[in-house]
Amino acid sequence: MLEPLFNSDKKEKILLYIYTNGESYAREIASKFQFYLNTVQNQLLNLEEGGVLYSKLKGKVRLFGINPRYPFKKELIALLEKALIFIPEEEKEKFYKPRLRPRRTGKPL
Amino acid sequence: MNIKGISIKNLAIYISDYLRKNGVDTVLSGGACVTIYTNNKFISLDLDFVLRSFIDSKKIESLLEKIGFQAEGMYFEHEDTEYSVQILPPPPSVGAEPVKKIDLMRKGNMLLKLLSPTDSVKDRLAAYYHWNDKQSLDQAISICRDNSIDLKEVERWSKNEDMENKFEIFKRHLKR
Repeated sequence: MLEPLFNSDKKEKILLYIYTNGESYAREIASKFQFYLNTVQNQLLNLEEGGVLYSKLKGKVRLFGINPRYPFKKELIALLEKALIFIPEEEKEKFYKPRLRPRRTGKPL
Repeated sequence: MNIKGISIKNLAIYISDYLRKNGVDTVLSGGACVTIYTNNKFISLDLDFVLRSFIDSKKIESLLEKIGFQAEGMYFEHEDTEYSVQILPPPPSVGAEPVKKIDLMRKGNMLLKLLSPTDSVKDRLAAYYHWNDKQSLDQAISICRDNSIDLKEVERWSKNEDMENKFEIFKRHLKR
């Protein structure tokens, strides 16, 4: 959807994933989309360097999220929201609809 | 230039002027402005320069290398100083708004462009508003106490950031 703008379908997927999940980390994104870890790491660092994403360490994991201080945050979110409308429901269910409510330890799925 | 023992303010002036004379226009932002506006009450070791327009990062790397700063990830380090330099992408902004008025600081024939005290308060409040960072709130208050600040403008900006409630907390702290 936004590949011509972002120059990469991976960047679009990474941004959509982080946006819909709140925060995420390179390994999670790579395994979710079957991307090379290096590719995801480079894209994340690139987006962080551009001020689009922030990152913070939680334990040993570096989490990335949409930078609330990015001057075009509102416009970027509007663009991502619009892109989500065009994504097939099946794909949306698989990647962009995370379960956010907690699940108690040991509770069967 | 020998930068051993140089103050953050003089280092900022030196780097900013050097970059400007080589076609790289920047605005100093972040913690270094707090150090300058609070007369060293808060010490920052980071010099955050925001580009005013896009410049190839390789050009910046090569320019900073010529004055002894080596790229270490996103930062530039120099063996003679503990301060590190970061060059941030344009535009200079505070929250969702562009920086409108840029202050100037001169030393001899060298020039530093930096956030005004009012925009520096907004910059710190942005960190408090969005990250709940209490140290940034203290810094914003400290800049207000040491400088002339347009609080009406800070209030207008805070509303635009949807942070009226936190602006009220900031105001209460300021009155204490």
